[in-house]
Amino acid sequence: MDTERYQRQLILSGFGPEAQQLLLQAKVLVIGAGGLGCPALQYLAAAGVGYIGIADNDTIELSNLHRQVLFGTANIGSKKASVAAKRLQEMNPDPQYRIHLLRISTQNIAEVFRDYDIIFDGTDNFDSRYLINDTCVRLHKSLVFAAVSGFEGQLAIFNVPDADGRKTNYRDIFPVPPAHGEIPNCAENGILGVLPGIMGTMAAGEIIKLITGIGKPLINKLLHYNLLSQEQYEMNISPSKYDTPLVMEASDPDTMPLNHSYIEIDVERMLSLSEEESTIIIDVREKHEFPRLDTETYKQVPMSAFDNFLSSEITQNNIVLLCQHGVRSVAAAEALYQKYGHTKTMYSLKGGIAKWRKHFLTT
Amino acid sequence: MEIELISFGRISEFIPNQKIQINGIETTSGLQNYLEKTFPQLAGMKYKLALNKNLVQQESEIRNGDSIAIMPPFSGG
Repeated sequence: MDTERYQRQLILSGFGPEAQQLLLQAKVLVIGAGGLGCPALQYLAAAGVGYIGIADNDTIELSNLHRQVLFGTANIGSKKASVAAKRLQEMNPDPQYRIHLLRISTQNIAEVFRDYDIIFDGTDNFDSRYLINDTCVRLHKSLVFAAVSGFEGQLAIFNVPDADGRKTNYRDIFPVPPAHGEIPNCAENGILGVLPGIMGTMAAGEIIKLITGIGKPLINKLLHYNLLSQEQYEMNISPSKYDTPLVMEASDPDTMPLNHSYIEIDVERMLSLSEEESTIIIDVREKHEFPRLDTETYKQVPMSAFDNFLSSEITQNNIVLLCQHGVRSVAAAEALYQKYGHTKTMYSLKGGIAKWRKHFLTT
Repeated sequence: MEIELISFGRISEFIPNQKIQINGIETTSGLQNYLEKTFPQLAGMKYKLALNKNLVQQESEIRNGDSIAIMPPFSGG
């Protein structure tokens, strides 16, 4: 190791050669070489983190350059991860750089994570963020999380025990991903380049603190940063009282796709489920709606009383929801998912009673 | 009683930071109902509350002078 390169941090009180050695031994994976990933990578590499992974499959576009500061105009059209690794290598040849030219998925994520101790999530979409969170929980990896929206950013460390041994993860805050389109992304909403610059740099700071054991990393805390007011707001995260549902814990990935809180079924599937012992079928229509169904088979819990119903415990494992058109039943399934996660399976009758009227009127 | 609302991200577009007077609301779930009625856009969103800087994970009592943060998830990178 070229100690002169790190001399200013080596002489820092409370840091020193021991901390530098810890950095050298650390293995950090940065997912997303974008607005958050670029500044994080720069400082992790410059500080001398020994093994740095870069996972990204995107190519560089002109509209990336205002915030993805590892890239220049000449790099447009090249792969972000490859250009980033080359640039970092020029800046500091000490670390070992590893490129993962892929978009992380349920198929490849465990393999990609295997060699790393700390994962930095600098992605730009909820599908990836939940997948990364859940995989960190399953594989016991420390997760540093940063995200931006408008002029604001969020920063947190997940899955690292605090002094009391308590760990939290992203699902303790937001158990279920927002619907697609509910939260706009940078492409739709715009972003000032310096904001992910700040958040990614703060994330690198947290990663260095985690590795070296200095200071108070944001374990079980979530930091909000507002660029316009320069205000920070920190809140304490505690574990959710509900079991955290995880992507890929379901026995059959085909029937429990990524991020789906319920399964839409047809009437045949509903009938076969009804023959299983641990199934309850719930009609969430209001009491005045027709056709009336046999209340022995179809438990009546109108949506207007559903909140109340949620405070009671359901013993069955399969919960089938139905309503007139299959819209309210989805809302009910999502509410149940918020409570039970993947510990129970929620089904919604697609199209509702209206679509399968023949079946309901003849039975 | 008076409480302080602190909002983030998209939520701050329709619930600016403010102090509000609430009467007859004693718990976080009561406040949640009140907020979703007063600001209907909130009802369709995923968000989380923090009471005096602690994430609300169970029904909690609200007292005069408390601060409530209302936070949506961010995904941008």
